[in-house]
Amino acid sequence: MSVPYAVGEGYARKVMDEVSKSEVVPLGIDPVLANLDPDQGRPRQVITTEGLNLKFSETTILSGVTMGFDRGTITALIGPTGSGKSTFLRTLNRMNDKVFGFRHEGDVTLDGESIWAPQQDLLTIRRRVGMLFQRPNPFPMSIRDNVVAGAKAHGIARGKQLDVVAEMRLREVGLWDAVKDRLGDSPYRLSGGQQQLLCLARALAVGPEVLLLDEPTSALDPISTEAVESLLREMTPALTLIVVTHNLGQARRISDQTMFFFDGHLVEHGATAELFTSPRERDTDRYVNGLMG
Amino acid sequence: MSDGDRALPATSALADPTRSSLRTRRVGLRHAVEERLWRGGGRVASWIPIAGLSLVLVVLFVKAWPAIRLNGLGYFSGSQWLPGNTYAPAVRTHGVLHPLGASYGAWPLVWGTIETSVIAVVIAVPLSIGTALALTERLPRWLAQPLGFLVEILAGIPSVIIGLWGVLVLGPFLSHHVYPYVANNLPDVWGLRYFKGSVGYGEGLLTSGLVLALMIVPIIAATTRDLFLQVPALPKEGAEALGMTDAEVTRRVTIPWVRSGIIGATVLGLGRALGETMAVAMVSGSVLGQVAPNIYATMTTIAATIVSQLDSAATDATGFAISNLAESGLILAAMSIVVNVAARAIVRRSSRLAAPVGRA
Repeated sequence: MSVPYAVGEGYARKVMDEVSKSEVVPLGIDPVLANLDPDQGRPRQVITTEGLNLKFSETTILSGVTMGFDRGTITALIGPTGSGKSTFLRTLNRMNDKVFGFRHEGDVTLDGESIWAPQQDLLTIRRRVGMLFQRPNPFPMSIRDNVVAGAKAHGIARGKQLDVVAEMRLREVGLWDAVKDRLGDSPYRLSGGQQQLLCLARALAVGPEVLLLDEPTSALDPISTEAVESLLREMTPALTLIVVTHNLGQARRISDQTMFFFDGHLVEHGATAELFTSPRERDTDRYVNGLMG
Repeated sequence: MSDGDRALPATSALADPTRSSLRTRRVGLRHAVEERLWRGGGRVASWIPIAGLSLVLVVLFVKAWPAIRLNGLGYFSGSQWLPGNTYAPAVRTHGVLHPLGASYGAWPLVWGTIETSVIAVVIAVPLSIGTALALTERLPRWLAQPLGFLVEILAGIPSVIIGLWGVLVLGPFLSHHVYPYVANNLPDVWGLRYFKGSVGYGEGLLTSGLVLALMIVPIIAATTRDLFLQVPALPKEGAEALGMTDAEVTRRVTIPWVRSGIIGATVLGLGRALGETMAVAMVSGSVLGQVAPNIYATMTTIAATIVSQLDSAATDATGFAISNLAESGLILAAMSIVVNVAARAIVRRSSRLAAPVGRA
């Protein structure tokens, strides 16, 4: 399978020239955000929730979550299975809206505006709040098309710019050298870790401000996990990350803030170091010390 | 028979020699007999399709041989279908006995078969994919289930009934209310000229294509619906989370995921359309010897010709008329085989990128 265009050092130089001339955003962040003076304009907290109750039909999954996510930080969501953290995460980009029987009370704001406000565009919210799933989920198209699928749909780039986007995002996630000679190949031949990096590149290509990660490394081996984790650390403060994880070590390693969910409640939240060393609540203490879960 | 002559298979009952009581030995023997029956039966069964196919083709070829010898390649380009004078003494040309003045050309039949099938597939494939999408993604379950059942029932309706409906209801309706409107209002430019001119009485090429489309929609739709149901949620959710619209998710993830299956379903439908006999014989007008001058004109297909001409062909004492029908049947069989082989090649090529169904 031949690559749709020539790849070499000359090409790389050409790409850099094209990028500097093109409309393509050079980093995986919103252009407005890239030029943003943090003291002006937007609120410090990119996402806030106010008294958020989530229900499926009559079953309450989560109640009374009031929380703010600071721009450019990593927040870990921990808690036993069924505690509501994944549902909470999927509410932030309105992935639950379509689920049968889903209802919510309270509010979620993105840059101070409710995500359910009538003037909000769902597709724009999802572009600004990206998501990485538990298992890699590449689309049935070539590796290159996978990376640019979202960018194409949102009209971020077109034509030759798409090649630029593909290369930059793949370089960003450290996958470029592994796939540069087979951009036209099926993504399903990549390893699980590589597929997850590909999905990360795909999510970055639409220029999100916030990335929601639902146990992004639970299906990966330790080396791929380490690669993803170090990428996540590098991506702040350009991006705000919210990570659901069952891996307490991972929460400790990468996050600034940690939220502990238990039994449909946000039991405790605070700076990660503090929450792990001196938790205020008994349940938190039991969970982070492995006595529950 | 080397497989069957092997020693008794090591069944679980005989695997442990310390427990080889009389009863376990008998059970072991029964297993061995069963095993032999299975293997023997399987071997016989595996030959049935090959034997059946080659028998049919051989008989068809033997029957067609006189016509093939006499017609030569002219059979593919000729348009007339003249049985000749069966009352005059038969004549012999190149060693083949045939009625005086008999002359056969299958081009209108072959072209008619291709035309009706292509019309049917072009109409049916988008319709079927739309139906399948509605059933799997759009409609609530309480509506989708009975509707899906109806689609399956439609697939089982005998073609003669659909043909009857086509000739009594659909054809007259279209020729009164739809065809004239289309024919009169289309611009007279090259390419659209085929849709202009006399619209006839509702029996003809387009009506046949539409009736065929109706017959293959349920086949393609039911297969495609089952395919869509197998597309895992995860990649679709990934596309949604990326901010794609529902239409984009469908176009870029759901359909490509099962692309090779859809091609397979289309070929299934195309095969049915190529070979469909009764309904087409009823609504095509069964006019021999002419290629339809416009899309409404009467015509015929290979299958329809065979069924409508068989009776009169049997009156040809030389057997030459039958031989010509057999030759056209051979062409039809070859067409189906070519379509299937081509589809296989396309599936192989397109499945290189697609994900195997069932894999998340």
